[in-house]
Amino acid sequence: MPVAAAADPGLPDYVARQPRGFYRSVNPGTKLAVAALEVVAAFLLPGWVGPLLVLAIVFATAAAARRLRGLATIALATSPIVGSILLINLFLLPGASDPIARLGPLAPTWSGLWFGLQTVARLISFSLAIGLVYLTTAVDDLLADLARRGLGRRAIFVVGAAVQMVPGTIERAAEIVDAQRSRGMDTEGRIWRRARGVLPMAAPIVFGALTEVEERTMALEARAFSAPGRQTLLRVPADGPADRVLRWAAILALVAIVALRATGRLG
Amino acid sequence: MGLLTRWVRRQFTTRVIVLMPVAIAINIVLGAAVQQGLKLPIYLDSIGTILVGVLAGPLAGALTGFLSNLIWGYLLPSPIGSTTIAPFAITAAVIGLLAGLWGQLGLFRPRRGGRGSIAAAAIAVVLVGALALYTYARAYASPEQFQSNTGIDASQFDQSRIFFLIVMVAYVILVAVALYLRRDVGAVLAIGAGLVTGIVAAIVSAPIAAVVYGGVTGGGTDAIVAAFRAGGDGLYQATLKQGLLSDPMDKMVTSFVVFFIIGSLSRRFVSRFPNGEKTVGDSPEVAPEAPEVSPQGATES
Repeated sequence: MPVAAAADPGLPDYVARQPRGFYRSVNPGTKLAVAALEVVAAFLLPGWVGPLLVLAIVFATAAAARRLRGLATIALATSPIVGSILLINLFLLPGASDPIARLGPLAPTWSGLWFGLQTVARLISFSLAIGLVYLTTAVDDLLADLARRGLGRRAIFVVGAAVQMVPGTIERAAEIVDAQRSRGMDTEGRIWRRARGVLPMAAPIVFGALTEVEERTMALEARAFSAPGRQTLLRVPADGPADRVLRWAAILALVAIVALRATGRLG
Repeated sequence: MGLLTRWVRRQFTTRVIVLMPVAIAINIVLGAAVQQGLKLPIYLDSIGTILVGVLAGPLAGALTGFLSNLIWGYLLPSPIGSTTIAPFAITAAVIGLLAGLWGQLGLFRPRRGGRGSIAAAAIAVVLVGALALYTYARAYASPEQFQSNTGIDASQFDQSRIFFLIVMVAYVILVAVALYLRRDVGAVLAIGAGLVTGIVAAIVSAPIAAVVYGGVTGGGTDAIVAAFRAGGDGLYQATLKQGLLSDPMDKMVTSFVVFFIIGSLSRRFVSRFPNGEKTVGDSPEVAPEAPEVSPQGATES
């Protein structure tokens, strides 16, 4: 188990400073437990109760934490799948026989609309519950909290390094796509012509990323990454009594919902 | 130290730990680049997972796949992040696990060489073709025979026959392209491994797509789900059929790309990974120089 050093008065403010504001100051582990409860509730509570209850809680929390704009962006990002779910179920729900109208060969049904809306409500509540954790928690804080709870340094490194690496790789991929287009790679023609571009696009991206592996390995080994012994954490997110009560309440509620659903008492 | 502990530790050397985030970034970025840049109806979001699995082992591969989807879903900002991808972390883990098994069996090992290898590759392709033809002739001779041989309802006869043909044609084309580009008999095994991985991935992901998303994922493959549902299939059935059509294609192409990449990496780099000895190819004295790939996909020796 790593040792916390956040109480050290010699630490600079940017390391020791804790997040402030409604819900942002809640411990990351507690927020994960609440999000897990919300996801389970959205899927296991019957009918509209689960998704609507979760949406109400998530929106109220986001409004109080001033994160409604970010939540709206996440909701917008789900629009392609929301459109697909609604369209496919509206017109093609198996066994539905209560048409809203006749549009030539197509017949949208009430049951399809109802089923589609309910699936969409579940999907959005699930996405927003997780999205709220992301919007109110710095990745560093989340990783520090997980490290404090015993997650190994290797796992912490993998997650942290991957999150840092993605934006740079995206930029490099865009440059490679432009460069290959300028050399004649077809991105607009027939499918078989576009398919021929897979290797010329994938190979430079992968080779470019792999060149860093040797250097990083040596850098980590030079810093005693594999050395045994306890780690010292510079930054430890606060975890007060209120956090612990909320976390355990969320875990107990989650277990209760799963048990009630498994025994058929939730319908 | 027990055998199991040693087996687990062997897969998580510092080099593998460094490769894993790189592979996760490759999964996330390459999937988006191929889908948006080339607008192809395949995912190609498991190249990094399969690479780690083949080079490091099943557990490292499974963890890479699992973390890829979780990070993609929960830790990256929109529009890169997509919360809808996270539930498929289980599928990604299974893909990584299988890739690790294929790696330990040496299925991704380049087997380049002279005319003998090309002749062996040609024989392998002919054997696969003959096996496919035999299966086709036995299973699809008539709807009744199809039902008695497979236990599947005769009404699925036409769909199943088309699936089988499409997947086998894709396999043969990919193997032929791989042989042309690399003159390497190993492609037969690597792309075959991709085919099996794709079938397993479809079976694992169908219930997730059906339960969490009502059978659709917001991608181009939704049109295929819609077509099956228009044909009267239920939610799970339509999702499974879409997966059985799309996933083998995707994983065959992915395995083809990974096989090509591994064959082009330096032997020194590959052999430093836990499965390196099983993945490095024949000695460079025997193997011809790897051809360069032009943007049009043609070789330039």
